[in-house]
Amino acid sequence: MKKTVDVSIPLGPVHPCWKEPVRLKCETAGERVLRVEVELGYMKKGIERIMRGRPWQEVMFLAERVCGICSVIHNMVFIETMEEISDIAVPPRAAYLRVIVNELDRIASHILANFSYCYTIEHETLAMYLLNTREIVLDNLERITGSRVNTAYMIPGGVRFDLLPEDAVTVLADLDKVEEEMRRHTRIFETGPLIALRSKGIGVMDREEAIRSHTVGPTARASGVSDSDLRLRHPTYQALGFEQITRTEGDNFARIMVRFQEIFQSIDLIRKCVTTLPDGPIRGGGLCRAGEGSHSGEAPRGELTYTIKTDEYGRVLDIAIRTPSIMNIEACAHAMIADAASIADVTSTFISSDPCVACNER
Amino acid sequence: MTRYLYEKDLRPMKYTILTSTKHDRTVRAIAHRLGMADAKLRMAMIRRLDMSLLENLESRWEMGQKHADGGDGVAGELGCELFTRFIPLLDTETMQSIYDETTTMIQNGLAVDDAITRGRERIRKAVLR
Amino acid sequence: MSILQDIKNAVRSRSIHVAYVDVGSCNGCDIEVLACLAPRYDIEQYGIYVHNNPREADVLLVIGSVTPQWVDKLRDIWDKIPEPKVAVAIGNCPISGCVYARRGTLTTPPVENYIPIAASVPGCPPRPTEILSAILSVAPLIFKDYEEKQP
Ligand code: SF4
Repeated sequence: MKKTVDVSIPLGPVHPCWKEPVRLKCETAGERVLRVEVELGYMKKGIERIMRGRPWQEVMFLAERVCGICSVIHNMVFIETMEEISDIAVPPRAAYLRVIVNELDRIASHILANFSYCYTIEHETLAMYLLNTREIVLDNLERITGSRVNTAYMIPGGVRFDLLPEDAVTVLADLDKVEEEMRRHTRIFETGPLIALRSKGIGVMDREEAIRSHTVGPTARASGVSDSDLRLRHPTYQALGFEQITRTEGDNFARIMVRFQEIFQSIDLIRKCVTTLPDGPIRGGGLCRAGEGSHSGEAPRGELTYTIKTDEYGRVLDIAIRTPSIMNIEACAHAMIADAASIADVTSTFISSDPCVACNER
Repeated sequence: MTRYLYEKDLRPMKYTILTSTKHDRTVRAIAHRLGMADAKLRMAMIRRLDMSLLENLESRWEMGQKHADGGDGVAGELGCELFTRFIPLLDTETMQSIYDETTTMIQNGLAVDDAITRGRERIRKAVLR
Repeated sequence: MSILQDIKNAVRSRSIHVAYVDVGSCNGCDIEVLACLAPRYDIEQYGIYVHNNPREADVLLVIGSVTPQWVDKLRDIWDKIPEPKVAVAIGNCPISGCVYARRGTLTTPPVENYIPIAASVPGCPPRPTEILSAILSVAPLIFKDYEEKQP
């Protein structure tokens, strides 16, 4: 690659702010960042190659381990793709339970993303508050599914465990607690003058660029891309009256605020689900058949697509996974960070797009 | 010396990215569009694009098909925006000069098809350079 | 037993700096290590500080099965940590490769082939409390009387 400047600052792979290894090579002129090159390969496990030729029972657990943070949605989209291929219907109670678990996972993931951002801009107090609130959410996830991370809760035609009435009461009580705490944290973030100094107007990505690199999820919604939330097209969410949140600023502050707002929305969705949970079986059963299909779902970070081809025994012949972080990291590195005013903003801007390197590389 | 510490040869890893199902399909589609061999295009991509762009190749190509070069016939045929802003295989100046040359040729009375064929020829050369 | 050693023992038992390095995992274990920071587990009451800077670390938590980029770099990181040091493997991945040790994989587990591992915490992922207790129980074993144990 042609060198245009003489100062190149590599960040990573092991960096105090980054939870996962990735390397950004920033070419700078003075303080100004001219362009960024992303070096990956630190997390390339070749999971799509492992999946090929294996029965769905195995691929199901592999799919979760594409990404530990948003493991529930990987499970859900894979299972929904298999259901779509083999025409398996889901009982209404199971569909609602799926939404509950999925939204709990989304809350946990969004809190973690905001924690990382606060940690990166050195607001450690708020970061620790957020992390503590996340534990309550994970408790509930564990109460329903039996595991904190990598839950494997959904199976074709239903879910594994029912929500007991006494658990439902505890979930609702805990949600109240989470909501109250999150209101306080959001207020701290929204009104903090120093936070605003480090976040507002930094790492701006306009709508056109967001569309060009096909950003998805909160990153796109903070730049004002409408109709980018796939939950709008999911039948269960439609029944629950879901509406998408958008902001127009497109800077770090907007991205974090979109996540905060989505947390409240998810809390409302879970509440609605738990109170209107229909009766009935949680498993419909069904047989995975041969076919080919593609299905997308809304992960905490954006649109997640599985394209699967199976044979008549339910073995996965070919699979391609498109995770949201692929688009978001790319847009972040080439649109937000490029031309940043200061090298000090690179880490916080990168973290604000909620990069998940494990997803990105699979 | 502007060499990075701990530098490693990234080409095998970039090649691994390009061999997954969807990326392979996309590379073939782009090669078809440009009218060049897959292997050569792959080589050019590995040299020019960084790893995260390679991972994002498929969606950028998709969005490029949808949004690039609306309206302008010659630019659309050449893929002016498509190959500079969506998939940056060429820099903007080279593409602009190719575009200018092609439009001049058309104004000078050359048939549109011939001019575009010549323009594409230049694009192929520029990509491989 | 010299006085100097006593002082060192006392200091080391209350000040453990931790760095974690992810060498190709699903990051499920990463976030469980992060969860240890939460006030609920309060890792800092034991004098453990998660720092993620190998140059001033005492304990290195290794997560994940080894991907091609890490094959040589993991050793580099290990060499940068000052003595005395200890590496703890978190999760199934560094021990056996977990789900990734199959046909077609790009990873080359186990981590033991690259750096010496003092303790392992199996689980996919292990609970934060388990990670915490592993660090707490392995660190004194290595750090106590470190200089006197040297041949
Ligand atoms: S042990 Fe399990 S949870 Fe931990 S990194 Fe490996 S696959 Fe992920």
